[in-house]
Amino acid sequence: MKEIIFAGFGGQGVLTGGLLIAELAARTQRNAVWMPAYGPTMRGGKANCVVKFGQTPEERIGSPVMEEADVLVAMNVPALDYLEYCRKDCTIFVNAHTVPADQQLPEQAVVVRLDCAELAQKAENPKGESLVMVGAIVRRLGWFDEDFARSAITDYFTGKGKGKYAAANVRAFDLGCQEVK
Amino acid sequence: MQMAKKIMMKGNVAAAEAAIRGGAEFFAGYPITPSTETLETLSFRMPEEGRVFIQAENEIASINMVLGAAACGARAFTTSSGPGMALKQEGFSYAARMELPYVVMNVQRWGVGLGMLDSGQVDYLRDTRAGGNGDYRHIVYAPDSVQELVDDLYEAFDVSQKYRMGVLILSEGYLGQMMEAVELPPFKEIRRPDWGLDGTGEVGLKQLCPTYNMALAHELLPVRQERINRVCREMQRWESVETEDADYVLVAFGLPARVCVDAVRRLREEGCKVGLIRPKLVFPFPYDAFHRVNPNVRGFISVETNDLGQMVQDVALAAKRELPQRNVPVYCYTHSAGVPRVQDVVRYYRSVLDGAVKEVY
Repeated sequence: MKEIIFAGFGGQGVLTGGLLIAELAARTQRNAVWMPAYGPTMRGGKANCVVKFGQTPEERIGSPVMEEADVLVAMNVPALDYLEYCRKDCTIFVNAHTVPADQQLPEQAVVVRLDCAELAQKAENPKGESLVMVGAIVRRLGWFDEDFARSAITDYFTGKGKGKYAAANVRAFDLGCQEVK
Repeated sequence: MQMAKKIMMKGNVAAAEAAIRGGAEFFAGYPITPSTETLETLSFRMPEEGRVFIQAENEIASINMVLGAAACGARAFTTSSGPGMALKQEGFSYAARMELPYVVMNVQRWGVGLGMLDSGQVDYLRDTRAGGNGDYRHIVYAPDSVQELVDDLYEAFDVSQKYRMGVLILSEGYLGQMMEAVELPPFKEIRRPDWGLDGTGEVGLKQLCPTYNMALAHELLPVRQERINRVCREMQRWESVETEDADYVLVAFGLPARVCVDAVRRLREEGCKVGLIRPKLVFPFPYDAFHRVNPNVRGFISVETNDLGQMVQDVALAAKRELPQRNVPVYCYTHSAGVPRVQDVVRYYRSVLDGAVKEVY
């Protein structure tokens, strides 16, 4: 089972970013759970979701809430509060646009920094910050095939009637991939 | 056989789709967080399928519309949350008097009065007993995943008509709001019952419902009792995890039960003999599950997301009935709002072992 926390401000696409990862798992016939921050949090600007998925089609997901995440996506500084719910040796994907370079982070953690806002601009998709992050996650962690991810992202947005943004979304995804090599 | 496609769906949305596929012909409801997405989804999906959707002027009107549709033999459905469910109680009681089948989903929110937006299991006692006046019950499903929510709603209309009782789906805020990969079942053929008002005036309530005539109360008592007895016999459903040799058995339903599955796994890895009973229905309560646990069990621990402990009462009754020779202690971990984490359950278990907490019963 893998557990990922996506956190940031409302509008940075953290709920969508998490949902795309969950979609990739579901589309490969695995059990996946997406639990959004909900209630007062949703109404205050801070946003997060936790995604859990099995590594085989048989694996069931127990607890649906944050327990010991393998990955934290921190789109801003307050998002780092969720390190409380992460393994000590977790991987932290940090949005370098909002999190300063000298930000203290746990020693055992693997840190991947990328400027999502700048890359999203470069992709001519300023709202695509979370797609940049999804690209970085897919490339860096190797949990999903990249071509499959591209087609799933296109399919997902097309299914929501937002097919005209598909190319820009894939561009943002690709720049995220390239940024982490 | 081609594998059914798994798709990510929000609990409340999946519930709406499952109800339609299960044959819901009529919906009347009123929006309330955290249940509203079901109503929103039905507002366009019901007309798409040629079924009836009404956003009523309030909760009381919506349950009475459901009664009207049910009296005509339609498969009727409504949803709400804590405060809205409170308003519907009179309608439930009247439906019970007329033996009308219907399905209602309560997406529970935590708190009393207006409550809060947070998730919780605070309506257990009301919803497993008669919440309105008089002497009746709902059949109460307690799903722990979006897939089980789908499966329960898909079945609910058949069960409701089979026993001519209201069926209540006891969901909770987080289950309604979270998304999971689910497989949707095919559309059911809608079967109308061989009774129901038809607008001609030839069939009245007395023909519709033999027990409606309260003057016959004593003659009809066995009929009413036998119905509940049948439900209690035929609807025993639960999931057990390693209870055969367990020293301590956790009991939990809904999302906390999933946390308890992980807690059992973690404690077993540490050599602690812990098990879990997860009721899939909470009325009837799965007494049979308690009959099959380790006869030397040292305690039951009810895990609930409320403040005062509610299901613990049923756990205590089950322990008394199924292990009558032993006064097995029954503890209650009340987590309050939200969903506990595995470490919360583990910590409470240790405090039971240490004697730091006392049994409730």
